[in-house]
Amino acid sequence: MLIFKLMYLIRGYVVIRRDDMNSEKLLNILRRRNISVWDVEKKDKKIKFKISYEDYIKHSDLINEIVKPESKRGVLLKLNKLKLRRGFSIGLLILIISLYLLTSMIWDVEVIGTNQPNTNEIIRLLEKNKIKLPFALSQIETKKLETLIYDNFQFKFVEVFVEGSKLIIFVREREPEPAEIKSNEPSSIIALKNAIVNKVIAKSGQAVVKEGDVVYEGQTLIMGIVKNKNSEEFMMVPSEGTVYGKTYYNFEMKEEKIRNVNVSTNKSNAVYYLIINGNSIKIIGDKDPYENYNYREREINVPLVSNIADISILKGVYYEEVIKKIEIDKETAHNKMKVSMYDELLKSCDEDSRILKSNINFSEDEEFYYLIAQIEVIEDIGERIRIYPIAKEKTEENVEE
Amino acid sequence: MSKFNNFRSKLADELEIPNNALSDNFELTMHGNKKVIIENHLGLTVYDENMVIINTNEQNITIKGKKFKIEEINSYKVIVKGNIKEIIFSIKE
Repeated sequence: MLIFKLMYLIRGYVVIRRDDMNSEKLLNILRRRNISVWDVEKKDKKIKFKISYEDYIKHSDLINEIVKPESKRGVLLKLNKLKLRRGFSIGLLILIISLYLLTSMIWDVEVIGTNQPNTNEIIRLLEKNKIKLPFALSQIETKKLETLIYDNFQFKFVEVFVEGSKLIIFVREREPEPAEIKSNEPSSIIALKNAIVNKVIAKSGQAVVKEGDVVYEGQTLIMGIVKNKNSEEFMMVPSEGTVYGKTYYNFEMKEEKIRNVNVSTNKSNAVYYLIINGNSIKIIGDKDPYENYNYREREINVPLVSNIADISILKGVYYEEVIKKIEIDKETAHNKMKVSMYDELLKSCDEDSRILKSNINFSEDEEFYYLIAQIEVIEDIGERIRIYPIAKEKTEENVEE
Repeated sequence: MSKFNNFRSKLADELEIPNNALSDNFELTMHGNKKVIIENHLGLTVYDENMVIINTNEQNITIKGKKFKIEEINSYKVIVKGNIKEIIFSIKE
């Protein structure tokens, strides 16, 4: 019945009311004429019912003779009225078409993540591939565009997406790769950190430190300048080898005995803002309704409106929270401090490093638990650096001339 | 029920086809006591807020109750909605 009513809401129906006639007779006349009648109501000898607009037109002579229609309703009937208001109809049609055109075209291209020359080149590349502004949304195949840009530029990452009537190209440039030292280039190995030398394995070059030496950051460990046995001259060679050193790491950490934790009470309060060109106007709800709260917000784009103008709705929700004091037991605090200590140690050491000795002491006072530790680690402390010959030749040549 | 109509009704039963395909008998469907659908009717005799009498080929169907509304009426079926208390079938004289 709902579908039936909906259908006639679109196609149009006529509401009829009659006061002074035998209602049964009227309904039987309409039935005999194959006119479908619905929503028949009778109150105090007054009858009201609906018939389809098609039937009304078909049997208008009979119906107008016995009853008078109260009102005509339906979408098609309203549209028929628009025929008379031509200027308005044409204006409305133009508005709909222009809205459709405005929202189904790309009017701007924005490149994020690179400099202006690259941006211009990307736009030129798009133009070469017959993508000129403005262009239809249906013309865009984001995956194809991404591949095209990726193939033509040295970007690490490319993402193309459409936001409203704007094509956004998000790129990330490649970071310059660290210059690798070629194996045949002269180089030395220097200390990366202060340490006590534990073992020196010099495969090439001359070791200038021995086991037990204290070395400081930047000190040469294996030198890439060696004496030629035949000519007594010094020559530069690529150094190769590993220098293991004992390093010491000291840690001091503390952890509160009683901690304040925010606990949610499941109460929330929403507030809505209207955002126009970046300015917000509060529409519904209260600001800061609770003493302690966690505030989260998200932007809701209004279909069509947000695409054309910079208008959106911001929904913020205040979640009430209560501050509770939680006592942390000794074992948990010790474990937590130990874990963070090893985390920090891992950040400063290599994966191949080995802990030789660890000395961890715990203490506490009224407010805090403390950790004081010294970790002795054996690790590779060497790093290759390139060495360059001093440009003497040129000056000598100049003197000779 | 006329003899010929009776025969057609029995034949429909034997052939296991819908009764109203062969006979002139009405078909009555009830949805609880809120809605009654009568197919193969001949029109309304009485329509009031508390009572509806529907004319069929061989019988009059009297529906008594409250707040009656006719949801739909056409040449084939009539749908009556309301609080139905009583349905009476009376053979036409």
